[in-house]
Amino acid sequence: MSSQKTERLINLTLALLATKRYLTKSEIFKNVTGYSGSAETMERMFERDKDELRSMGIEIDVKGLDPLFEDDQGYLIKSETFQLKGNEFAKDELFYLTMAANLWQSTALDSDSKAALLKIQSLSGPIESDVVNTPEIRDNENSSMLTTAFDAIEKSKVLTFQYNGSTRIVEPLGMYTKAGFWYLVAKDEESFKSFKLLRIEGKLTSNGKQNGFKKPENFDLMHYLEGLNKEEVIRAEILVRKEQAFALRSKYAASDFDEEWDLMVLPYKYEPEIIETLLWHGENVIVIKPESLRNTIKVSLKEFIND
Amino acid sequence: MIDTAAVRALRTMDLIPYILENPGVSIRSLSERFSVTEKQIESDLQLIFMCGLPGYTPYELIDIVFEEGIVSVIDPQVLDKPRRFNKSELIVIALGLEILIDISVSNPERLQKLKALSEKITKLGSSNSVTFAPSEKNSIFSDLITDAISKRKNIRIKYSSLVKDQVTQREVTPQSLYFMNGSLYLSAYDLSKKSDRIFKVSLITQCEITGNSHNESENEIRDSIRVVLSVKKSYRNFIERNSSIISTVIEKKEFFEVNIDINNVEWLKRSILSNAPGISVVTPTSLANEIRQSATSLLALYQAEK
Repeated sequence: MSSQKTERLINLTLALLATKRYLTKSEIFKNVTGYSGSAETMERMFERDKDELRSMGIEIDVKGLDPLFEDDQGYLIKSETFQLKGNEFAKDELFYLTMAANLWQSTALDSDSKAALLKIQSLSGPIESDVVNTPEIRDNENSSMLTTAFDAIEKSKVLTFQYNGSTRIVEPLGMYTKAGFWYLVAKDEESFKSFKLLRIEGKLTSNGKQNGFKKPENFDLMHYLEGLNKEEVIRAEILVRKEQAFALRSKYAASDFDEEWDLMVLPYKYEPEIIETLLWHGENVIVIKPESLRNTIKVSLKEFIND
Repeated sequence: MIDTAAVRALRTMDLIPYILENPGVSIRSLSERFSVTEKQIESDLQLIFMCGLPGYTPYELIDIVFEEGIVSVIDPQVLDKPRRFNKSELIVIALGLEILIDISVSNPERLQKLKALSEKITKLGSSNSVTFAPSEKNSIFSDLITDAISKRKNIRIKYSSLVKDQVTQREVTPQSLYFMNGSLYLSAYDLSKKSDRIFKVSLITQCEITGNSHNESENEIRDSIRVVLSVKKSYRNFIERNSSIISTVIEKKEFFEVNIDINNVEWLKRSILSNAPGISVVTPTSLANEIRQSATSLLALYQAEK
C-alpha cells in the first residue's frame, strides 16, 4: 500500500469538499498535491482515485461546466452527502444513538456497531453516562454471512446456499431478527420464504451481479411479517395444580376448579410452542381442551417413554 | 477489511473529527477504537501532517499536536465533522432503536423521543429491508435495573422462577443486562445464595432499589455434571438456543449427539420434558430414568379422566 496514494486520496477529498464551485480536472491536477507525470498518467490516476472513493461510499458530484464542450466537467463533494452536521442530533439523541449502536457490540454486527459509535462519538465526545450499563445482545451469528446478505439485499444480487439438504438459489428481499436469530426473506421458486441464517449450511454466496433481479413491486417486509403473525388464535383450557406454575399464573388469570386444581385459559397460535410451555410444568399442568392438543401431548409422552 | 489506500484514507480522515471531539485522547485508545495497531495509528497521524487544502501552506494543512502518546487537533480544516453513517451503520442503529423502543414501554417520555429519533434515522436512509420482530414483552423494570447498575445499588426483586416453579424475594447486586434469544436477562450476585445468578427480566414481578452494593466476590462452587443428549434433527432449535452452554455437537445420520456440562440439572430436566419426544438423555442413565418417570406420571394424569 502506498502512503503517497493515501495522501493523494485525502488531499483530493479535502479539495473537493472545501471548494465552493466545481473544480475542473486541470485545476485538480494543478492544485492538488500528488498528481504528477504526463497528462495521460494524471488522467488515469484521477479516474482510479475517483472510482476508489466512490466505491467507499463517497459521492463525487459531476457537472458539465460548458454546455458546448461535454468533456469540460467539474467535480465537487457536497458537504451534506459527506459529513454529518454539527447540530444534526440533540445531546439526548446522541445518547440514544450510542445506546442503540452499543447493543450490538458483542454480536456479528460488531464492526458496524463500532464504526457507528466512532461517528457518534465524533459528534458527542465521550458520553459521560451509564451507557456501558445498557443491555447488550449476545448472538451466535456469522458476521460475514450477515454482511453478504445485507449487501445482496441492497444491491439485488442473487444468493446461493445449502438449506435443509438442498441447494437454494433465491432473490433476497429482506431480513429480520426475531428471538435472537436472523432470518432472510427471499423469493424462492415463485414464493416468499423465510430462512433461518443459522441453518444455512456452509457458505452464503452471492453471484456478484448487481441488479441481478427485479424486486417485486408488491413486496413489503413489514406486510410479510404481519402475514406470518396472522395465524388464528386458539384457546387452550388447562388445569394448573394449586400453588404451582407461578410463571403461568403471573401472565394468565386462574379460577378455582376443585381442591387440587385451578382452571386457566391460554391463547396460542403454534401448537409446538404451547406444548413446550405446558410440558415445562410437568405434572402441574394438564390440557383439557382442545382435544387435538391433548392428543398430541399424549402421543409425544408415549413416544418419549418408549424411546 | 484489507487496508487499501482508500480504506486507510477514510480511517485517517475519520481520526480527525474523533480526536477533535475527544481532545487529549491516547494513541492506545485510538488503536482500540479504530481496531488497528498503535503503530498504524502513529503512521496515519504522520501522514495527516502532510495533508490539507490546495496551497498547502502551514495555514492550509491539518494541524495536530502529537506527543508522548497523546493527540489533539489544532486545525481540522474541513474535517471537523464525522462522515455520514453508511447503510450498514444505519441498519445497526435503526435495529438498536427498535429494541430500545421495545423495552421502554414504561417510560413514555423516553419512548416518544426514541420513536422520533427512529423516524429521523429512517429518513437518513436506513434500509426498510431489515427489521426487528419483537418476540416477547420485556419487563417494565429494565430502566430501574439499568439505573441500579450505574449507581452500584442493590435491588430487591420478586422473581417467578420458571425452573424451580417458585416465587421468591431476593436481594441482588445487578451486574449487567443482556439480550439472548430475544429475551432480556439480568446477571446478578445473589446476596443470600452468595453466588452469581441469571434472571429472566420478564419474570421479575416486583423490583425496588435498596442499599449500596458491596464487592462480595465469594462465590459458592457449584459442581457441574456432564450430560450426553441425543437430539432429533427436527428439534435442533434446542441446540441453537442453548449454544452458549453446549460443549460439543456431533452430527449423526438422524440426530445430533450433544455434550453439555451443567450445574442446573432441574433446568435440563424441564427442557428435555418440554421438548418430548425430541431429546433423550444418553448418559447418565439415572437422569434419563428420572425424566422418563416424570413423563410416565404426567401421561398417567392424562389417561385418568378429568
